Amino acid sequence: MAIPAIKLENVSFSYPVSEGEEHKAVDCVSLEIEEGTFVALVGHNGSGKSTLAKLLNGLLIPTGGRVLVYGVDTDDEKRIFDVRSSVGMVFQNPDNQMIATNVEDDIAFGPENLGVPREEIISRVDWALEKVGMSEFRHATPFKMSGGQKQRLAIAGVLAIKPRVMVLDESTAMLDPKGRDEVMKVVRQLNREEKMTVVHITHYMDEALEADRLIVMNDGRIVLDGKPADVFAEHELLTRIKLGVPCVTQLAVTLHEAGMAVDPRITDEEALVDSLCKLL
Amino acid sequence: MQITVKDLNFTYSARTPFERHALKGVNLTINEGDFLGIIGHTGSGKSTFIMHLNGLYKLQSGEIDVFDVKLVPDKKNKSDLRRLRGTVGMVFQYPEYQLFEDTVEKDVAFGPKNMGLDAEEVQRRVKRAIELVGLDYEDIKDRAPFELSGGQKRRVAIAGIIAMQPKVLILDEPTAGLDPYGKEQILSLITHLKEECSPTVIVISHDVDEITRFASRIVVFNDGKVMFDLPMNELFRHAEELHAVGLEIPRAVRIAEKLKKRGVELEGDIVSLNDLLHAVVVAYNKKHIDETVDENVNFSAFEFDLNGSACGGKKEDDR
Repeated sequence: MAIPAIKLENVSFSYPVSEGEEHKAVDCVSLEIEEGTFVALVGHNGSGKSTLAKLLNGLLIPTGGRVLVYGVDTDDEKRIFDVRSSVGMVFQNPDNQMIATNVEDDIAFGPENLGVPREEIISRVDWALEKVGMSEFRHATPFKMSGGQKQRLAIAGVLAIKPRVMVLDESTAMLDPKGRDEVMKVVRQLNREEKMTVVHITHYMDEALEADRLIVMNDGRIVLDGKPADVFAEHELLTRIKLGVPCVTQLAVTLHEAGMAVDPRITDEEALVDSLCKLL
Repeated sequence: MQITVKDLNFTYSARTPFERHALKGVNLTINEGDFLGIIGHTGSGKSTFIMHLNGLYKLQSGEIDVFDVKLVPDKKNKSDLRRLRGTVGMVFQYPEYQLFEDTVEKDVAFGPKNMGLDAEEVQRRVKRAIELVGLDYEDIKDRAPFELSGGQKRRVAIAGIIAMQPKVLILDEPTAGLDPYGKEQILSLITHLKEECSPTVIVISHDVDEITRFASRIVVFNDGKVMFDLPMNELFRHAEELHAVGLEIPRAVRIAEKLKKRGVELEGDIVSLNDLLHAVVVAYNKKHIDETVDENVNFSAFEFDLNGSACGGKKEDDR
C-alpha cells in the first residue's frame, strides 16, 4: 500500500494554561488520510479541530505521539520545509493572508521564498490564478476585492507552492453565501482534477456533505469517522456533542420519528422532495 | 417613536477614481418594537445604511430622525450625536475583536462610563448587562476577555453595548463565524434582549434561513436602494426577483416550490422549516385520513418543532 498523505500516531497536544496547568486540546488521536481524499473535519468550538489542523504542517509539534507527512516526521527540524511545501494551509480571515499590494506578487511570495526560478514562478502564478478562476485579476489589488475573491486568492497563493495536501481551517466561515460557493467550487475542482488531498474544517454541515470522508471531533478526540451519510445517521450523538445534521436530514429525521415513511438518512434535497411526493 | 430616513444618499471617496455611490435615495421607516431583518449581498449598501443610524457616517444628503433626534447635512451638533449614540446601540461584525480592557467588568463599563454616569450606576448597569447576556457576573467579572471562548467573548462584547441601555439594538452579522451551537445561543439571546432590554432590534444577516426564525419584517437592499420592504411571509413570494439579484431564498420556501412543481401543493405561508413541517403533516393527514381511516396516525399529537436542531432555534434558554 502507498504511504498515506498524512498519518497521525497517538498524537496529543497540550497548551500551557498557567503555571503547571495544561489544557489537552488533542488527546491521543490516530488517523490516516489517503492521498486524493476530500476530508471534512467538524466539531464545536474548542473541540480541538483547529489545533489538529496546525499539527498537520508543523505549525504545532505534538507534545505526544508523531505526525507523518508522506512519511516525514513534522518534528524533524531539518525537513520541516519539505513538510510545509507538502501541506498548504488556508486560514479563516482572508485579510490576514494578503501580503502584497498586487495579486501577482502576492501569489509569487510562496515560491519566491522556496527559491523557485523566475520563469517557473511566472508559470506557476498563471496556473494558480487559472485554477481559482481569477486570471483577469492578475494586476489588480487584493484590498478592494470581495471576501470570496480574497479567499480564492489565498488558495492560489498556497497552490503556487504546489502542495499535495491543502488544509482549509474554517476558510469559508467569514464569507457570504456567494463567496462560500465560489471557494467550495474551487476546492472541489482541485480535489477532482488535480487529485489534491483536501482537509476542510467547517461549521457548515452542508459543506461537510460534499466530502468523501467526514471526521467529527469532540473534546480532543475523534468520535465519528466515515462517509458523510453514515456519520449523519448518528444524529443523536451529533446533537449531544452540540453539533447538528444538515437541514434536510433534520427534516427527514423529524418526519421519520413522527412515524412517516421517510428515510432518516436522506441528505439530499431532491431525495427528500421525491419521498414527500410519494407520501403526499 | 420611530426612525425615519428620507432620501438618504451616500458616496464613498467622492470626486476620486474610487468614487462609489453606496446609497441611492433610501427611504425607510422603522417603528418602535420592530424586529427587522436586513438582507442584501456584499456591497448592496446595507452596512452603510445602518452606520448612518447612529451617526457613524456624516450625513451627505437626506434626513434622518431617530426617536426625535434629527440629523441634517452640514449641521454640527455634538450633543445630538451623543444622544443618538445613547439611543442606538451598534454591535459590529466580530464584535469580540473590539474587546480591549484587561477585565470583563472594565470592558463592559467602558460605554456607560463614557456616558458620564456615576460609578454606582455604571456598576449596576454592568452587572445587569452581563447577566442579561447569560453570563455569571461574579464568576466572570475579573477574568481577562482574552481567556474566554469565542461565544463568551461575543457575549461580553454585546454586554458592552447593552450596558448603555440603547432603545434600538443593531447587530451586523451577529452569528458569523460561530459553530452551530454558538449560533443558536446568540439567536436566542437576541430574542431575549428584545424582550428585556431593547424593544427595537435590527439584524443584518447573510443567512436567510436564520432570519426567517425571528424577523417579522424584512428589508432587502440591492445596489444602494431598498428593493423590498415586506412582512416576512410576503417577501418570499418574490423568490424569482430575489434570485435574480443573487440572494438566496430560505430552504423551506425552495422545498415547497419544488413540491408544487411536482403537483404537491401545501397550505399556508411557508417561510421557516417549522412552517414546512407543519404543512407537510397537515397534507399527510388529509390524504391518509381519506385512504386508511383505521390506521390513521394522529400526527397532530406530535409537537413539531425544529428548534434546538442545527437548523432550528433553541427554544428553552440554556444560557
